[in-house]
Amino acid sequence: MTVGEIIFFFTVFVTMIGALAAVLARSIVHALLGLITTMFGIAGLYVYLNSTFLAMMEMLVYVGAISILIAFAIMLLGSYSGMSGNLRAVGKLTLAGGTAVVSVYIFFKFVLTNMNPLSFAKYLVTTKDIGRVFTENLVLPFELISLLLVVAIIGAVMLAIIARNVK
Amino acid sequence: MSDMFYNNGNIYFFVALFMLFCGIAGLVYRRTLIGMLISMELILNGAGLNLVAINRFISPENPYGAAFTLIIMGIAAAESSLALAIIILISKRYHHIESGDLKELKF
Repeated sequence: MTVGEIIFFFTVFVTMIGALAAVLARSIVHALLGLITTMFGIAGLYVYLNSTFLAMMEMLVYVGAISILIAFAIMLLGSYSGMSGNLRAVGKLTLAGGTAVVSVYIFFKFVLTNMNPLSFAKYLVTTKDIGRVFTENLVLPFELISLLLVVAIIGAVMLAIIARNVK
Repeated sequence: MSDMFYNNGNIYFFVALFMLFCGIAGLVYRRTLIGMLISMELILNGAGLNLVAINRFISPENPYGAAFTLIIMGIAAAESSLALAIIILISKRYHHIESGDLKELKF
């Protein structure tokens, strides 16, 4: 086992432990820390998938922006964002277990048997490739994303104005 | 080089599936809206990883999977900012953010 494989398995381990912590942690701050750990792990997996630009954007957008946004919301909410979770509810536990069983069945039944990964194929996504795809083939989704971000900004400002008048 | 573990696509698919399951379990398990939002981010991250892994192992000709992952990141940023604004509004109005007790749609 080479050094690269050891780092890869460590990254996978960190990702899965972070996902479990984000779901099962008692405190909401610990759940947020688990989410940040997961995002670091995902960025590492993007590096292993030869997509370094995506790894950088993962660090910038998720770790840099969304996590900080959620942290600000937790601090603004204070005691409201207290703890949650009752796994003793039988219906919820049945639903979660059923989802797990179905997804694992789908994975082992279809993904492992029907897909033939081309593991030897050359694949390297540079920033130049992504820029070329966005300006030649995917112009409409690119513009729609900018429109979506504008609408989200206006909506957030409108909600802030409404929140000023409540109580 | 091709027999390395990190050149095997099934590990990435399994990690993405695991994150999808963790996200769905968190959506069911959490009672507050912020916990559900964190679970939602887990689902979106898993979807992005799945797209990039499929792009790298199944059809590596064009980087469409990477491009759609970038679009997913933009959607996640817009969604989380709007959701957090709504959550703060709900906390000012109802003085709690437990999703089970939010039964009125109208303010």
